[in-house]
Amino acid sequence: MAQLTVSRLSDIAIRVEPKILGGPPVIAGGLGGGVSAILTELVTLLERLADAQTPAAIDLRSLPMSPEDRVALKRALGEGEVQATVNAQGLSTICETRISGVWWIEHRDPQGELVAELLEVTRVPEILASAPDDIAAGAQTLREQITTLAATRTSSRSNG
Amino acid sequence: MTQGNEALTVGEMLLKHGISRRGFIKYCTVAASGLALPPWMGPAMAEQLHNAPRPSVVYLSFQECTGCLESLTRSFAPTIENLIFNMISLDYNDTLMAAAGDAAETARSKAMQDNFGKYVLVVDGSVPTGAGGGYCMAGGRSAVDTLREAAKGAAAIVCVGTCSAFGGIPFADPNPTGAWPVTAIVGDKPIINVSGCPPIPEVITGTLLQFVTTGQVPDLDEHRRPKVFFGNTIHDRCYRRPFYDQGKFAKSFDDEGARNGWCLYELGCKGPTTYNACATLKWNGGTSFPIESGHGCLGCSEPGFWDKGSFYSALSSGMWGKAGESTPLRVLEVGAGAAAVGAALGLAAAGSARLRQHRSEQQTDHETKGG
Repeated sequence: MAQLTVSRLSDIAIRVEPKILGGPPVIAGGLGGGVSAILTELVTLLERLADAQTPAAIDLRSLPMSPEDRVALKRALGEGEVQATVNAQGLSTICETRISGVWWIEHRDPQGELVAELLEVTRVPEILASAPDDIAAGAQTLREQITTLAATRTSSRSNG
Repeated sequence: MTQGNEALTVGEMLLKHGISRRGFIKYCTVAASGLALPPWMGPAMAEQLHNAPRPSVVYLSFQECTGCLESLTRSFAPTIENLIFNMISLDYNDTLMAAAGDAAETARSKAMQDNFGKYVLVVDGSVPTGAGGGYCMAGGRSAVDTLREAAKGAAAIVCVGTCSAFGGIPFADPNPTGAWPVTAIVGDKPIINVSGCPPIPEVITGTLLQFVTTGQVPDLDEHRRPKVFFGNTIHDRCYRRPFYDQGKFAKSFDDEGARNGWCLYELGCKGPTTYNACATLKWNGGTSFPIESGHGCLGCSEPGFWDKGSFYSALSSGMWGKAGESTPLRVLEVGAGAAAVGAALGLAAAGSARLRQHRSEQQTDHETKGG
């Protein structure tokens, strides 16, 4: 792994932020290390998923990321083959990145506000999989539908 | 107040309201993110809560203004926050419940009896002990007696608002009703203080959610407040902090500095000594918080906030002479170093408030033992 050496204060990159006026909070940018730290963590989590099938997640909202960091992270991970939307209590988008096993997940509330943003490291995000209880309930619903259909058919035949 | 729904699990209750399992997983993920829990806790919480019976909650209101309950119910994310009420069984709340009179009191006794040792007791308001407890009576019983009885079977007590947590405004000098916080009356139960006047709705619901999910009291600070929400000062997370560090202060509410959004320290902002989540979670669905609207923090989530001098004097002034004297401006002109001194003195002020709090607890112990 490349060694970063900082021997003088002037070696530390500092970016001067434009004047901040009142309004929405601005997290000081220039934390450039943030993106590579996330990527490094993803490597560890992917290895753990491959070896021990242990899924994991990174809560992006808990990290101090500037908008530039976010763009840089999105670019680094790229877009994969799967893009899914879940319509439950507002829209959620679940997209696999170019890196297999890394999913970029955005949860929005019914008003469209972003309420959670995560990177999940898993084969399939939990929210996409059908739950066993719901599957059993689905079978029951279909059974009822078949009965209803059969009844309708019988009655229409006898009518005809 | 939840007649007919007692036996439902959280999942069944949610389905009844058209919330699917995926909706619930999403809700728990968002909640875990807001609570600063590890993100994998979201789906785990959803799994655990889905099949669990809803925990019983008894909400007692004493010497209070109902502002805390207003905060809780005026939450801006109804689909999210109302879910909380589907996830708990709110068995008694004299403001929200439909029942009144004897029926209400019976509901409370029944909930406490049926769930003895398991229910969460939420207390809103301080407890007046003067005049034999006569300043706050409901159903012919004093707040002190009601609290003592309700505390016996509680798994934990959540004090919502600065009044129940630290005495709040009723406790302020000269405290005519002999008001005390819950910690001064109940000594043998886990107590979680969710202070604020009022607290942020998401902090109330988040604390309740965390307790009912994990069954454990979260990590608390020295004032028994959950560290996830009260771990940082307003100042630590304030977006105007860079101006403080640069020594750029508004000197009045309509000057150039105020218009430029500079630091409000000299206008009395109590952000440096106030632990709360306003600067991060914000208010009204994350719209804004007092400092973002141009007014300093009043320090409402700290013990004794009402007795710490003027809201409009810089923190450093409180320690020197009368509040409102012009010393802080002069000191602050020296620059950031002086501002740091101001912050340190503010901490000292918080320390003396704690001392006072401690003293008051001892005094009450003595009083209650004597009585």
